[in-house]
Amino acid sequence: MAATSAGRVLALCKQFHNVVRISSTIPSQNTGICLTKSSLARPNLLAGAACHICPVVQCRPLHTTISRMGLEEFFDLPDNWGESTVKSGAPWTVTLLRSKSNEELHKLWYLLLKEKNMLLTIEQEAKRQRVSMPSPERLKKIERSMQRLDKVVEERETALRLLQTGQEYARPADWRRNLFGKVVWHRFREYAIPWYMNATYKRRRFYTPSFVKPHIRLRMEKNLRTRARQADLEKKQLAKLKEKFPQMKASS
Amino acid sequence: MRLTAFLSMAAKVVLPKDYRYGMSRPWTEAAKKRNPLGKARRKVFIEPIASQDWSVFKGDTVEILAGKDKGKQGKVVQVIRKRNWVVLEGLNTHFRYIGKTWDYRGTYIASEAPLLLENVTLIDPTDRKATQIEWKFTEEGEKVRVSSRTGRIIPKPISERCDGIVTQQWKDGPKDTSPDDTLEKTYVPSLKTLEEEVMERLGIQEQRRPRRSYWY
Repeated sequence: MAATSAGRVLALCKQFHNVVRISSTIPSQNTGICLTKSSLARPNLLAGAACHICPVVQCRPLHTTISRMGLEEFFDLPDNWGESTVKSGAPWTVTLLRSKSNEELHKLWYLLLKEKNMLLTIEQEAKRQRVSMPSPERLKKIERSMQRLDKVVEERETALRLLQTGQEYARPADWRRNLFGKVVWHRFREYAIPWYMNATYKRRRFYTPSFVKPHIRLRMEKNLRTRARQADLEKKQLAKLKEKFPQMKASS
Repeated sequence: MRLTAFLSMAAKVVLPKDYRYGMSRPWTEAAKKRNPLGKARRKVFIEPIASQDWSVFKGDTVEILAGKDKGKQGKVVQVIRKRNWVVLEGLNTHFRYIGKTWDYRGTYIASEAPLLLENVTLIDPTDRKATQIEWKFTEEGEKVRVSSRTGRIIPKPISERCDGIVTQQWKDGPKDTSPDDTLEKTYVPSLKTLEEEVMERLGIQEQRRPRRSYWY
């Protein structure tokens, strides 16, 4: 297959969504096309530079069709109504999303969200009419794209936080001993009042009382026994497999 | 969050430890009939083969070494790694009726039985004979299958994507982003979070200050 990744990707169809070249201050409607056309029609504005983001104050999108208050976005394109399968491209991958700016990711998120809402409407309507939804894999693709986008945004946030504060996690947490003698990663919750005024919090005990000691010992013994039994079982299974398949490799 | 976790748990198929995998997928009715819940079937021993050592893929041409169709070559249609099975197209077949009703005897079809991995070998493309395979690294660092007899590389078969997209024949739809736009690199690393950057772009000024809250 094509050796270079660029060749492979260029050959690949991509994605979900309209070209993300919309000016920043536009209220996002399906007028992306209209806007790029209008921006091209005004060459006096920084013609040489790559002005994908031009100040849009002067431009007003023209509505040539009856706008049903934007409700048409909950439905698919009219060409796809009644089709049993709808063609859709591959989802966004993490590598592709990492090369996009924060602003583009922000816009892409809302485009994906609107597409997801549209697909969920179709799914619910199909359930109501007791027919099968056309191309349900579209929902999975959108879901995965959104998860990957979230992952990329989280990565960037973590990097910045580590640089600026040295904190690994966004949510404050700490190691605390619980009633059963275990030290757990206690994730903090947000309260309006400090801990010394919180009666329910003060009733919680973050230490192990002395009467729990026998239980801890019994638990330790139980764990040791289960682990020993499991190791024994694995050894026996391996021996049996070795007997049946003498040529197999050592690792199970 | 807990509700979605619960729903996903309900949707997921939980299989017992010594589940015997068959030709049907575990969530189908046929598989449920063969492996009823609560009943443990007789254990089958499967030779453990690491995923790195697996050398037969869907679309490969292989030769059968043992069984009814010994010596014949066929294309691999399905691979079931849990049982070390390989299903070849039109080979090792038995016959059965499908679509039986109370008055109709059904269609008589040939259905392929799976073959164990040790009973098939890959074929050398040069002389079209059976050969043993080794995994070796090329100069570029790619891991390839090399025939031990002739030393020729056996390329991995082109398998179609699970979403059915054929890259050469793809045409972008109205909602697809063009390849140029997808590959365009617009990210400029900065010391601003996504929220700050977006607020700056949109000209949003947040005058409110968050109320004092306590985390514990």
